[in-house]
Amino acid sequence: MEKQNRRSFFKSAGLLTATIAGASTKSVKASPENILSEDRMGVLVDTTTCIGCRNCEWACKKTHNLPAGELNSYEDKSVFKEMRRPDSSALTVVNQYENEKRINFPINVKVQCMHCDHPACVSACIVGAFSKKENGSVIWDTDKCIGCRYCMVACPFQVPSFEYDKALDPEIRKCDFCFERTKEGLLPACVEICPVEALVYGPRSELIKIAREKIKKYPDRYIEHIYGENEVGGTSWLYLAGQDLAKTKALPALETKTAPGVSESIQHGIFAYFVPPASLYALLAGIMWLNKKKKESSEGE
Amino acid sequence: MKRVICGILFFSTLVVAQNKSKNHLPDGKAGSLQNVNCKTCHTCDVPTKQNPCLIECPRDEMITVHQTAEQGPDVIKIDKLTNKYLPVTFSHKTHSQMSAMSGGCGNCHHYNTAGPILACADCHNTERKREDISKPDLQAAYHRQCIDCHKEWSHSTDCNSCHLEKGSPITHKVTKGKDHPKVKEPEKLIYETNYNKGKIVTFFHSDHTKLFGAECISCHQNDNCTRCHDTKNVQTVSSTIPEKISKTGSQHHQPCFKCHANDECSKCHLDKPTGPFNHKTSTGWALTRFHEKLECAKCHENTNNFTKLNNDCVSCHKNFVTGKFEHEKTGLKLDEIHQEFDCGDCHSESNLPDGKAGFANKPDCSGCHDDKSYPKDKPGSLVKVIKK
Repeated sequence: MEKQNRRSFFKSAGLLTATIAGASTKSVKASPENILSEDRMGVLVDTTTCIGCRNCEWACKKTHNLPAGELNSYEDKSVFKEMRRPDSSALTVVNQYENEKRINFPINVKVQCMHCDHPACVSACIVGAFSKKENGSVIWDTDKCIGCRYCMVACPFQVPSFEYDKALDPEIRKCDFCFERTKEGLLPACVEICPVEALVYGPRSELIKIAREKIKKYPDRYIEHIYGENEVGGTSWLYLAGQDLAKTKALPALETKTAPGVSESIQHGIFAYFVPPASLYALLAGIMWLNKKKKESSEGE
Repeated sequence: MKRVICGILFFSTLVVAQNKSKNHLPDGKAGSLQNVNCKTCHTCDVPTKQNPCLIECPRDEMITVHQTAEQGPDVIKIDKLTNKYLPVTFSHKTHSQMSAMSGGCGNCHHYNTAGPILACADCHNTERKREDISKPDLQAAYHRQCIDCHKEWSHSTDCNSCHLEKGSPITHKVTKGKDHPKVKEPEKLIYETNYNKGKIVTFFHSDHTKLFGAECISCHQNDNCTRCHDTKNVQTVSSTIPEKISKTGSQHHQPCFKCHANDECSKCHLDKPTGPFNHKTSTGWALTRFHEKLECAKCHENTNNFTKLNNDCVSCHKNFVTGKFEHEKTGLKLDEIHQEFDCGDCHSESNLPDGKAGFANKPDCSGCHDDKSYPKDKPGSLVKVIKK
């Protein structure tokens, strides 16, 4: 990630505003790195295979230099009593839910950043720290981040977290799809450690094909829905399950509309072609003209 | 003349050879020797040893591999993957015995071709980062196979139930030569049904397995270890019949209909419990002596559909011809004179008291001798019946 301090950011921001004045609105929405790549990667999570060993939680912490503790301590199943959320100390967590079909066999659902195809955080970030990379990951530049936490509010999955417990230099934290690892040709840490390969890393389009085949082959095992295929316009992480994960409340029930779609369409609709400033100036000009006319007529009397 | 014979011999071998190879032709109808369409496993028309052109796993259609538990290896050392654990000693025989009760070898050796039984590593890649992500890697394949069953009956996914950590005092779990205890089977089960015309169905379990030669898996297809071993629900391995599972009407009938599809309801549904299978009452032909102890399949070749056989001895016993039949096995050793006759000379209609042909009834002597009659006079001497 490139280095940029706050002063240089404001400089470039000012410059950018000036250049934007001449450019169309579209160029703001899609800076080159945010274009969706055809070969972007993803992970297919098979919740019917996951055994809830939580090795992924440990591997994630190890890779991201977070205090991880002993791997054996993750065998503790009592954490499943409460539903947990990813936070700044654990970028991914596994939750356990009751299985409607087979009571004694709970469903384990891993949660982390879904790495949306149309990420709301990228759209909401006022300093452009967030970006969607070519390999599908949604990452952010800590040096650009001003800590406004708009990303946290914007995220439909409520994933980005803030180091509230840090008095000095707190940062936004979330799953980065192991960007540093995949850059070097390694697998994401969670995918690598999973003992049953409930997490499969591969090109998103291929994963969808595999998931569809699985559903076709084992109709008793899976419901006919790939969570993440179309939710909020599609996500890099995809889930196969034996029951509706949104109904189970393991993952939020979301529409297929992209998350930034609503806010961006309002914003870009109103501000397109400088309609508000132009109309404001027109209004002012009108008032001025009226006043002038008034003055002229009163002077004439 | 010699040339002609040689020519005929050569020609007939050609015909036989052609017929044989036709059996392998993947035309979809002829099928291979195992009555399987070649296209089930091969992509090309003519698979060779060098290029078997096998369809990639997972294959849509599967071929069950049939072997007994004892034919496979006793234990397998799983050491292809190294990590913090010691190699796992997998008790293959014990697991095969368990599998034989429900699902067979195909439980684990899924998508196997008709050829040799494939090991997991033959299809599953040892590397997690790989080209073909449609099937799990080796570690995942092992774990899924094991955990899928283990979690069902132990409700645990504890690593230590199979793994020993490196540096642990015990180097391997003792599994060699272990046998799954023999599964007890009930002699009969009496079902009370809702069918008004006959509420009682008596199912002779042991008759079906021992006599009719039904395999456990032909009915217990979807029963797994849990049926007996669910330690969370049932404290110990239940020694009695496992608790009843609620099934729909069609689910109940499904295993029976495999063979009894054309039978009337009253074949099984009766007003009161019935006795075990009796060849005489069911078919009118009593099984005696040697026949009594035979499995049905010894005479009835198609055990899925028992059909009436010709009850002439020679229809099964092809070697029962004059001069070859050891008559003393019947308890009567023929004397020298009678040994020379054809069987039919004495065992003829005219010699039988009520005019019935066949060998089941003993002939009297009136056909040839005016002054002699069986059993007062005998065409030989009585001997002790040889029992097998």
